[in-house]
Amino acid sequence: MSKPIITLKHVYKNYGDTNVLHDINMTLEAGKFYTLLGPSGSGKTTILRTIGGFVTPSSGDVLFDGQRINDLPANKRQVNTIFQDYALFPHMDVYDNVAFGLTIRKTPKEVIEKKVLRALKLVQLSGYEDRSISELSGGQQQRVAIARALVNEPQVLLLDEALSALDMKLRKEMQVELRDLQQRLGITFLFVTHDQEEALAMSDEIFVMDDGKILQSGTPVDIYDEPVNHFVANFIGESNIVPGKMLSDYRVEFVNKVFECADAGMKPDENVEVVLRPEDLDIVAPDAGKLVVTIDTQLFRGDYYEVIAYDDDHNEWLIHSTNPTKDDQRVGLFFEPEDIHVMRYGESEQAFDARLETYED
Amino acid sequence: MTKKTKWFANGYLTLVFVLLYVPIFYLIMYSFSTGKTMSHYQGFTWAHYVALFQDARMIQIALDTLLLALLSALIATAIGSLGALGIYATKKRQTRNALLSLNNILMVSPDVIIGASFLIFFTFLGIGLGFGSVLMSHIAFEIPIVVLMVLPRLQEMSTTMIDAAEDLGASSWQVLSRVILPAIIPGILAGYFMAFTYSLDDFAVTFFVTGNGFETLSIEIYARARQGIDLEVNALSGILFVFALLLVVGYYLLTQYTAKRQKAGVKRP
Ligand SMILES: Nc1ncnc2c1ncn2[C@@H]1O[C@H](COP(=O)(O)OP(=O)(O)OP(=O)(O)O)[C@@H](O)[C@H]1O
Ligand SMILES: [Mg+2]
Repeated sequence: MSKPIITLKHVYKNYGDTNVLHDINMTLEAGKFYTLLGPSGSGKTTILRTIGGFVTPSSGDVLFDGQRINDLPANKRQVNTIFQDYALFPHMDVYDNVAFGLTIRKTPKEVIEKKVLRALKLVQLSGYEDRSISELSGGQQQRVAIARALVNEPQVLLLDEALSALDMKLRKEMQVELRDLQQRLGITFLFVTHDQEEALAMSDEIFVMDDGKILQSGTPVDIYDEPVNHFVANFIGESNIVPGKMLSDYRVEFVNKVFECADAGMKPDENVEVVLRPEDLDIVAPDAGKLVVTIDTQLFRGDYYEVIAYDDDHNEWLIHSTNPTKDDQRVGLFFEPEDIHVMRYGESEQAFDARLETYED
Repeated sequence: MTKKTKWFANGYLTLVFVLLYVPIFYLIMYSFSTGKTMSHYQGFTWAHYVALFQDARMIQIALDTLLLALLSALIATAIGSLGALGIYATKKRQTRNALLSLNNILMVSPDVIIGASFLIFFTFLGIGLGFGSVLMSHIAFEIPIVVLMVLPRLQEMSTTMIDAAEDLGASSWQVLSRVILPAIIPGILAGYFMAFTYSLDDFAVTFFVTGNGFETLSIEIYARARQGIDLEVNALSGILFVFALLLVVGYYLLTQYTAKRQKAGVKRP
């Protein structure tokens, strides 16, 4: 494990009576790409502002490189931010905006010019140096904001929905570009988004937030495959979630049938929720399936068909299929025991991890 | 809007402007009249203007008035802008509103009261009346105007812009000089112009605090008009009107220029 550059320890933030951050603990290792993922108002920006030095935590500590920096002013922190509303300086042109941080640090003029031009090239804005900010589109402004932060080569870069104003194509390009840049420069990125696909694609590690709390953290694969609760399962990717009962280790009952599964460590006959990802469900002949369903509708999504079907108990099933099906056709659904993920009600991430320890090798 | 109401609206607007401007043009017209009174127009002459420019006392007063306006507006703009920054930086809502209300009360209270209270104040402190006392009172009543012109500029400035400057390493002073001031310059300019014009045409406050040695145009015109109408006063009004017109045009051009400069971005050396 490389050394942590930013650590948050039991950070709380209250505005009057409202609790905006609730016991936030996170450790960011140097040179990795982290994502904060959560719905609007969950406290993502507040966490970034706490690290950037614009919000003082009500309690708890913020550490940079092992040093407590709660009381260090923002202009002394080796952290740069790309703000949600870009926050460009309207009275300066593109060049001066990007050069701002370097001129503050009294960098020689030639060096500034070289770095600014390189940063603008990186965000595909070469030739825009003399433009004023009001003459740029939203996406271009966002890229100026990215260049303005990057040019300072900070140790940690905080990005608040840095790609949200870009169109799909440019957004994908910038995702690759940012990821590549981050790996090349070895800068630690903390990236805020509420786009789960973006989070899965870019991150080394994801923090899923809701209502001021971190619900789960882990690699994209961990979080996708083993969501800790209903909220995370629903927020990360699409899923079928049905109530069930854990009969014993490795045996779960749902939709009135008993299935073999890969989960254990729960009380006998405990009520649980069962997650099945739509792409793990294969459409087969009715007698070869573990479940029999009737196709209701299907939508062509480009690289797959999104199929909605109902079983005989009127539970809805979402299936991603590479081949088209016919409406009202009765088909079987097949899945492996590993495709079933069982979630306990109200289990915390710590308890979940501890339980996994007991039966996984 | 129907054709009829549009016609009515335009007609109404024209009427209002005619009513506002006719007395002024009437006054100016008689400044070119050969007669001695405004009873009827008698033929064109520059005589009143010539007389005005030979009136050394009047010229002196005009220059004094101008100096007073320029100087008081300058000082008031400096103090008022700082005041606006102070109000803007006040975190507590109640304190901020209280400060703003105190400012607004000065704006709406009658000049007579302000003038009288300054007179009492100056005599109480034993400050002699003259240029100094007039200057101080002008500065005092101009400050609230400047605050009112600058504050909206500050409030419409994005607060994350200041965060961004700090984030990029700027000290408080650098934030002020490189980010905040350039953003509010139009408000400061407007404040200066407003303060300048308020000083130029103030009568009531000046009337109270001016002593024997110092006079402004408005006081002088008032004094002369009381002695019976002299067409030299008309000529002076004519010149002041043209001056005001030039001021407005100048201000317009200046705002156009700063807007363009902002738009084009400040060129690098
Ligand atoms: N200065 C403040 N005073 C009071 N409440 C605040 C303040 N700043 C933020 N909040 C509240 O804190 C909560 C979290 O806000 P935050 O901006 O961190 O959300 P977010 O996750 O970034 O949302 P979004 O995706 O919409 O940007 C919100 O409910 C917001 O109303
Ligand atoms: Mg936010």
